[in-house]
Amino acid sequence: MQLTRRAVLAVPALIPFAARAAGPVFAGVSGPLTGPNAQYGAQWKRGFDLALDGINGAGGVKGRPLQYIFEDSQSDPRQSVAVAQKFVADPRVVIELGDFSSPASMAASPIYQRAKLVQFGFTNSHPDFTKGGDHMWSNSTSQAEEQPKLYDFAAALGFKRPAVLHLNTDWGRTAKDAFVAAAKTGGAAVAAVEAYLGTEQDFRPTLVRVRDSNPDGLVLLSYYADGALICRQARDTGIKLPVLAGTSNYSPKFLELGGPGVEDVFVMTTFFPADPRPEVQDFVKRYRAKSGTDPDSFSAGAYDTMVLWAKLVEGWGPTREGMQAGLLEIKDVPSVIYGAATFDPRTRRVQGASYKRLVVQKGQFTLWDGNRPT
Amino acid sequence: MGAWLDYTINGLIVGNIYALLAVGLALIFGVSHLINFAQGSIYTAGAFIGWTCAQRLGTPLPVTMAAVVLGCAALGVVIERVGLRPLAGSARIAPLLATIGISFVLDQGLQLLYSPDPRSLPSPLPAWRIQVGRGTIGALDILIAATGLVSAAVLFGFLRFSRLGWAVRATAQDSEAARQMGVNTDAVNRTVFAIAAGLGGLSGLLVGMYYNHIDTAMSFQATLKGVVAQVIGGMGNVPGAIAGSLLLGLTESYGVALFGSSYRNLFAFVLLLIVLVLRPNGLFAGRQAMSPEPLTGTFIAPSRPWDVPRWAVAVCVLLAALLPFLPNSAYALQVLTNAWLYALLAISLTLVAGTLGQVSLGHAGLLLIGAYASALLALDSGLPVWLSIPAAGFVTAALGTALTWPAFRLRSHYVSIATLGIGEIVGLVILNWESLTHGPMGVTGVPPLTAGTVELDSPQASYWVALAVLVLLGLMQSRLLGTHLGRTFRAIRDDDVAARACGVSLDRYKGLAFAVSGFAAGISGAISAHLYSYINNETFTSQVSVLALTMVILGGMGNVLGAVIGAVALTGLPEVFRFTAEYRQLIYGLVLLLMIRFRPQGILGTA
Repeated sequence: MQLTRRAVLAVPALIPFAARAAGPVFAGVSGPLTGPNAQYGAQWKRGFDLALDGINGAGGVKGRPLQYIFEDSQSDPRQSVAVAQKFVADPRVVIELGDFSSPASMAASPIYQRAKLVQFGFTNSHPDFTKGGDHMWSNSTSQAEEQPKLYDFAAALGFKRPAVLHLNTDWGRTAKDAFVAAAKTGGAAVAAVEAYLGTEQDFRPTLVRVRDSNPDGLVLLSYYADGALICRQARDTGIKLPVLAGTSNYSPKFLELGGPGVEDVFVMTTFFPADPRPEVQDFVKRYRAKSGTDPDSFSAGAYDTMVLWAKLVEGWGPTREGMQAGLLEIKDVPSVIYGAATFDPRTRRVQGASYKRLVVQKGQFTLWDGNRPT
Repeated sequence: MGAWLDYTINGLIVGNIYALLAVGLALIFGVSHLINFAQGSIYTAGAFIGWTCAQRLGTPLPVTMAAVVLGCAALGVVIERVGLRPLAGSARIAPLLATIGISFVLDQGLQLLYSPDPRSLPSPLPAWRIQVGRGTIGALDILIAATGLVSAAVLFGFLRFSRLGWAVRATAQDSEAARQMGVNTDAVNRTVFAIAAGLGGLSGLLVGMYYNHIDTAMSFQATLKGVVAQVIGGMGNVPGAIAGSLLLGLTESYGVALFGSSYRNLFAFVLLLIVLVLRPNGLFAGRQAMSPEPLTGTFIAPSRPWDVPRWAVAVCVLLAALLPFLPNSAYALQVLTNAWLYALLAISLTLVAGTLGQVSLGHAGLLLIGAYASALLALDSGLPVWLSIPAAGFVTAALGTALTWPAFRLRSHYVSIATLGIGEIVGLVILNWESLTHGPMGVTGVPPLTAGTVELDSPQASYWVALAVLVLLGLMQSRLLGTHLGRTFRAIRDDDVAARACGVSLDRYKGLAFAVSGFAAGISGAISAHLYSYINNETFTSQVSVLALTMVILGGMGNVLGAVIGAVALTGLPEVFRFTAEYRQLIYGLVLLLMIRFRPQGILGTA
């Protein structure tokens, strides 16, 4: 009975009296609240809370409010397996969301699979994550689908010899392989591939190496913090080439951390606040009102996940079996990332994210007008 | 040719940054022979104090810098007073643990105060840049270099020409004698901590502005690079720290030039090892410094261990073995399974750190070797799991001994730093040796534990397996401590010169101890791999090494039962504090500090 105190205190205040008659429905969240990845756990919470405000504010699902129990795993496999046992043994928990990193998530998968509790890894892009068992699902965008789109953007910018810098993790590696394959199919020659460690902050020597491979553009398969650092240091190293950054760079923090260094950088994103679709506008308006900043792709993913969960509870009942049955059948869930999300029952992943092409102009993300960089 | 100029410039620029980190560490080490693990946290605190001043209060840069230096100096004084002075009489290993605890508390406090989101810290300096080679350097690069050089020069002058500086140097040489000559050594330590913390905070501010990025998780990397840089220059040697930092920056930059950026840290740690093996006092040590181990037995304090009666241990083991019969115990079993696996690691570490006196900070590397060996033997060579796990133990014993062999000739802190480097090297080799280890993708689908054809994947079964292995290896190690071999290990710890004079071959005994230790750690890593089904190079990070050392010190150095108790305590406490959510690491750090304060020799005492 150890709930995250904030989750318990914050939510009931928002629930209309009538809804309290039937008890809440619980999701278990395993993720980092402390430790080096704590920033991502904080982003998740913002996305979750915003979605729940909307759902519970409207009376919950069939009169029952939704709540989540956030257990801090520090994204450490030793702790995520303990959390998994805890959730599995807690009959209130109907679905599990997370964890953040692949080692932490995939170490817990056998436990969830054995207990037939859906493990919904909404940031887990490792291609083998959903192969852990038929109860592992993910709405994280597939790199096999995303990277060809990023290459199309690069080709539209006129890159014929791009240099690729990628984070040397399972995610960055998968993305890099998919991008290089797409470039090969598209007839471009990749000039250089540089893998860097997640703890890296100094990219100047790497950039000199990249510069000397004579590329005609840089492609960054990075997160927003390292992406911003690379852009700043590229300018300091005397590289004036156009830069294209992948979807995980889309964040207001990219602009804040990059400062003038990210001006004119091209960014592809699945999620864009100026997207006119009503669900996006609703999300962005409420997010701004609550947090004072624009949402990024991590909080958008967390938001989408809560909305999806509400639909599952609504359509298939608040049980563990209901969640699994629902994911197999559910179609066209409204989503700020996908437009409408449908799972492929074989891969247990979502296809068809919509991608936007942006460029940073005067310190703001704006839609790219189609003009090639000069 | 032009590119080499660029690589050189870039190496010097980043070396410049390491220099700021290394100077503070060198100063504290020079005086109190302590690796201050809290220095990275002070660096982070400095960055956030600077952010508050510059972004919230809008102060100009000189005022911001002054505020950071004063704020962090005050923090340093508090750390010295609260965390270290009470431990003055105990072994030097206790203050080391105290700095780890303080860094926990500081990091978590900052995270609660400022949220874990990264922030920008724009530099208010003019934006002009000078063309050097094909790249540019800016005003901030020059300010950072000037800060490093000026602070080193001021420190040099202070130590050489002021009365307080003399007192600092006297305390560094022999604090007992200094006190007898009327030096107020408490005041000296306070001054040193204030100066080092002020410098650390200032470097946090400047580096934060340089990258336009600060966050609450940047402490550990800062400590790591600072320690490496100062060791290259010579521990405790302030001008050496600057030279060592520049050399480290250059090595990294040239390493990237030759082999690409994923090899960068590999170069840094290999350089560290080479320096430690060839010139343990650092490249820039002048005359032969004093022996790093000052007097017999002061690194690990002798104490009378609590004698726990055998029947009590037997009863505890029996109770633990019966625990899975309780209903609804899966969560508790999982936590305790983790505790038993950590205990295996802790008894492995306590043998080399406590019994032999070689404090290793690289045990996570042994876990990785064990985990990968067993996973790859089971997956790629088709070995059954019940064979691959002991095989992984032997592989780890052999590889671990071979890898730590260069550290055998080192003493006290140098061993810790060399093994820290070795641990990092293991992780980086696993990341880069793709044909064997699957590189960054990690190893998926590691088969679960089995005995013959019986799958042992229930929480109860894995619990019993871990407990049984722990009891077996724990008994063996207790038995070993009472034999001739155990006595020889302790003789090496207490006085290696005397031991050698009695005809003990140090290298062989150290090799034996590391082999036994590697076996237990390898088994622990191997079982974990089969429990998790997926491992990659980040499954066991150097944070795990630090945690394991914490367990060992907490339980009592060299004490097998103490190591188990330490492991249960430090695995259990974060779980017990779960209900406090974001606060749990903070509370954990505070509890750790209190335990060191009131029982610096460990719960059960040194065996």
